[in-house]
Amino acid sequence: MRLPAMAKLQFTLFFVLFLTIQTLSASVDTISSDIKLKNVDRTVDISTQLVKVVSKIVLENSGKSPVKHFLFAVEEAAKNNLAFIGAKDSNSKDLRLAETTVKGYDYVKFWRVELKEPLNAGATVNVVVETVFTKALQPYPTAITQQEDQFVKYVGNLYTYSPYYTSTQKTSVILNTKTVESFTKVKPFSQVDGTIIYGPYANVGPFTEKELSIHYKNNSPFLTVTRVERLIEVSHWGNIAIEEVIEIEHTGAKLKGPFSRYDYQQDHHSGPASVRAYKTLLPASASDVYYRDTNGNISTSNMKVKKDSVELDLRPRYPLFGGWRTHYTLGYNVPSYEYLYHSGNEYLLKMRSIDHIFDDMQVDELVTKIILPEGSTGIKLNIPYSVTRLPDSLHFTYLDTKGRPVISFIKKNIVENHIQDFQIRYTFPRLLMLQEPLLVVGFLYTLFLCVIIYVRLDFSIHKSEHKD
Amino acid sequence: MTAETQSKSRLPYLSSDKQLTFIKLSVLSMAAILSFATRLFSVLRFESVIHEFDPYFNYRTTRYLTEEGFYNFHNWFDDRAWYPLGRIIGGTIYPGLMVTSATLYNIMQYLNITIDIRNVCVFLAPFFSSLTTIVTYLLTKELKNEGAGLVAAAMIAIVPGYISRSVAGSYDNEGIAIFCMLLTYYFWIKAVNTGTIMWATMTALAYFYMVSSWGGYVFLINLIPLHVLALILLGRFSSRVYVAYSTLYCIGTILSMQISFVGFQPVQSSEHMLALGTFGLCQLYAFTQYLRQHLSPANFELLFKALVTTLLLTLGSAIIALTLTGKISPWTGRFYSLLDPSYAKNHIPIIASVSEHQPTSWSSFYFDLQVLVFLFPAGLYFCFSKLTDANIFIILYGVLSIYFAGVMVRLMLVLAPVMCIVSGIAASSLLSLHVKDIEPKVEKHDKKKKHENNLVFRSEVGTLFVCVLGCLLVSYVVHCTWVTSEAYSSPSIVLSARAHDGARIIFDDFREAYTWLKMNTPEDAKVMSWWDYGYQITAMANRTVIVDNNTWNNTHISRVGQAMASTEDKAYEIMRELDVDYVLVIFGGLVGYSSDDINKFLWMVRIGGSTERGAHIREAQYYTAAGEFRVDSAGAPALLNCLMYKMSYYKFGLVYTEGGRPPGFDRVRGAEIGNKDFNLDVLEEAYTTEHWLVRIYKVKPLPNRGV
Repeated sequence: MRLPAMAKLQFTLFFVLFLTIQTLSASVDTISSDIKLKNVDRTVDISTQLVKVVSKIVLENSGKSPVKHFLFAVEEAAKNNLAFIGAKDSNSKDLRLAETTVKGYDYVKFWRVELKEPLNAGATVNVVVETVFTKALQPYPTAITQQEDQFVKYVGNLYTYSPYYTSTQKTSVILNTKTVESFTKVKPFSQVDGTIIYGPYANVGPFTEKELSIHYKNNSPFLTVTRVERLIEVSHWGNIAIEEVIEIEHTGAKLKGPFSRYDYQQDHHSGPASVRAYKTLLPASASDVYYRDTNGNISTSNMKVKKDSVELDLRPRYPLFGGWRTHYTLGYNVPSYEYLYHSGNEYLLKMRSIDHIFDDMQVDELVTKIILPEGSTGIKLNIPYSVTRLPDSLHFTYLDTKGRPVISFIKKNIVENHIQDFQIRYTFPRLLMLQEPLLVVGFLYTLFLCVIIYVRLDFSIHKSEHKD
Repeated sequence: MTAETQSKSRLPYLSSDKQLTFIKLSVLSMAAILSFATRLFSVLRFESVIHEFDPYFNYRTTRYLTEEGFYNFHNWFDDRAWYPLGRIIGGTIYPGLMVTSATLYNIMQYLNITIDIRNVCVFLAPFFSSLTTIVTYLLTKELKNEGAGLVAAAMIAIVPGYISRSVAGSYDNEGIAIFCMLLTYYFWIKAVNTGTIMWATMTALAYFYMVSSWGGYVFLINLIPLHVLALILLGRFSSRVYVAYSTLYCIGTILSMQISFVGFQPVQSSEHMLALGTFGLCQLYAFTQYLRQHLSPANFELLFKALVTTLLLTLGSAIIALTLTGKISPWTGRFYSLLDPSYAKNHIPIIASVSEHQPTSWSSFYFDLQVLVFLFPAGLYFCFSKLTDANIFIILYGVLSIYFAGVMVRLMLVLAPVMCIVSGIAASSLLSLHVKDIEPKVEKHDKKKKHENNLVFRSEVGTLFVCVLGCLLVSYVVHCTWVTSEAYSSPSIVLSARAHDGARIIFDDFREAYTWLKMNTPEDAKVMSWWDYGYQITAMANRTVIVDNNTWNNTHISRVGQAMASTEDKAYEIMRELDVDYVLVIFGGLVGYSSDDINKFLWMVRIGGSTERGAHIREAQYYTAAGEFRVDSAGAPALLNCLMYKMSYYKFGLVYTEGGRPPGFDRVRGAEIGNKDFNLDVLEEAYTTEHWLVRIYKVKPLPNRGV
């Protein structure tokens, strides 16, 4: 009974420590007037349901002293849609990012990007910042009939939003379609194939905003995973079972009027905005895959085993039109030696906190639960991005006596870039492996003993006269 | 017997007594395991899923019971069915099945066996069949001997007549009721044989379990009094029977009245009167026997005559008075149809429309029982040849259930166990008779051997006979396995067919449609469909239905039938009246699924026209002048323009279904549809499944004025 208490104490300590680090990092910064953006080359990819912005920044230190970090800003209109931000240097090495604030600019979201080496006065450095926004594309019109194409509207900033002075900048917007109803025209601009290029624009001041609006055809799947519950059950007998309960909604333009199966079957271009199927990639070692919902097995799926992954071609029971929802459970097993490492009684579990569901996915809410073997103590969780940790609980299943510890956390607004490993360290006395077999043996032993005693001895108080 | 000799050589260190126990135990446990395993075809071929229609209701209520607890379950008012009337679930079902599964589920949860409630429901029927196998052994052992018990147990493990209702996934009352019934019989025989109150009380408890789980308990509560009556008539009445029956009746009746669906029926309805009458008769009979011992014959004669006349008079007038005042309910339709097979067909279309209420054909007796049909008379002979109290019971049970099984297909289930028991007795008696002859050197029975030797070819005849019987039994096993695998193991919620290249095609359209309804319609949407699909819609789609398989309100079902049989504008009025949002129809014309709504349509017309409000709907309107039911251009105009026709064939006129046929060729009816080019005014297609099996329409709201 002492061990779990200890574990809890350790959690609390760890948690407090974690929080302290968090608050420390959310510090107040100032905008250095020494930094200038010499050139920004921005790519805005709006060909899917996501808005993926890659900014290649050439940073210049025009001051006298070396600079260790610079600030990256996201405008007020877009900050709530931001799902992911990441920065790399010219060698594609990840740079450390920390959320921060600047006095007087409460409405802007800032990140402090730590450079690998201090930038000397007069020198330049190349940095690539990648941001992904969800729900930034609005279907317009909001409802379409079965035969119509889906049009969406993108509203963004024509200029790179930055707290610094920008010398030159260029923006290319990738649409992947030539069907554009309307778009903002600020010279110089050009439209080539499925791309609109704005700029180069010279000498733009800090925090400049100008509306960029594009209304275009986008029939790519607008699927939002409204909730995923990912359950990882670790067994020390060599298996890790993963089960995902997934709820999906088509969040594109809603279906207006009837759904005609005849048209849908007759013409494969019918329902261009609908989603018939999508691909889910599982780890290459995944086996015993099942795909079902509350009414039973969903028989419309195919599995292809590839070299580095298992590709599932999942077809929901019905095609998904705008506003339609579906839900399912996907489960599989992976061998534990690929994810679980140990030395002595110390174990380390390294797994993805979320896995691929479909390309360019957007997930509203993720709940990951990790069930560790019964008797695990000293559990430490480490995740590369911030999550909300839920209170630990216990899970009881076959042959459990005191329950398996369950670690769970929630994360909102997730995209593919969040497919990263978490780490859990815990201690598990290896002798406890024998507990379950011994339980079975003990039970059977007692059972047989009882039967033997019952058969051999006469317990009747009174001999019956009736001959039964 | 050969198995016995083999094991003798293998287990030299066990005494023959222990060997016998060992063999008995292993045969019995093998039979029990087999009875479980043979019912798993559908799980292995498809998946662990609930079958058919009624099981979905049972599954839904079981889920409710496990989630909400017993008291909420007991007080449950279900607003998802029979909109706008609703249904009091707690008072209108036999809760035994749900309580059994919930109990098993809770025990397993307590032991940390995290099995899903759905799997408990799916595997409950096979599990109870295993128990039935064991009870059959005990019962037959009580009737005849252990050998007959083992044969009967082996037979009931695979008899198709019972399997048809107890495969994995067929989660219905019958699945546990047969076990309860045989258990009650076993305890009853025990009680009659011993005359102890304990066994009689056990009978009453088993009877209570039976009452709580199936309406067929009425058969049981008439059979046991009949047995007692027969014993009285045959002069076999004894204090043992008196104790057994009096205890059973008192405790059993009080217990059965605790089930709210049964209520006061045991003392009011005519179906239970035989039991009550026999109880009274038992008391009188015992009383007269008591008097006879204490009075002189002349006095006794006088008293007896006076008592009998007054009693008969008072009883007769009381029954008439109670029937007239309505205290004793008139016999229900389903019971009438037991006595007169044509009753239902002539009077209650809703009973006649259910296929399992149809009279049984001869072929289905053979199909469901095979060799048992021939062994049964032989078994009866053996029972008659050594008449005991218990044998009289099994003879009565056998003869009665043959009659009832002939009236209603569904009651084949009651016949199957007794067929197995009697045939088990026959097979075992025949075998033990002839196997003795095969072994030429019977060391222990020297005297007997000399006596028997005067028959020629005795050993050869014996061998031949055993071989023939062996072949019959092997063919029984083959037949049973084949029937189980081919006929009784399709879940009917998932259909499968073979493509030209032999690959299996799955038609999962029902679940596709139900899932669509569940996910993409408003939570409070009302769905109208023919009553067959009511239970499935509430269970799988979780939407409110107008009518369902609990066909308690004839006028409500009739209203739906009227809507289906009317033209669009008439139907719209009915649908507005019933507050319908979606209409669901089953259409098999594209893939050739023959039990679809068009083929059920005549029942809708009949039921729709059976009430006052639907009197304008007459069956004859839907036939051609030649009296045929046709969907092609020669079909009756009333049919070609009714709502059901339009919903089934909307846009179907454009589809090519078979090569060399015109578009709109219906593969079930084998005809090109007669009305192709039409639009729906008051409905719009909301969803149609991949193979067009289920079509869902949305009822349009009233049009805006002036638009």
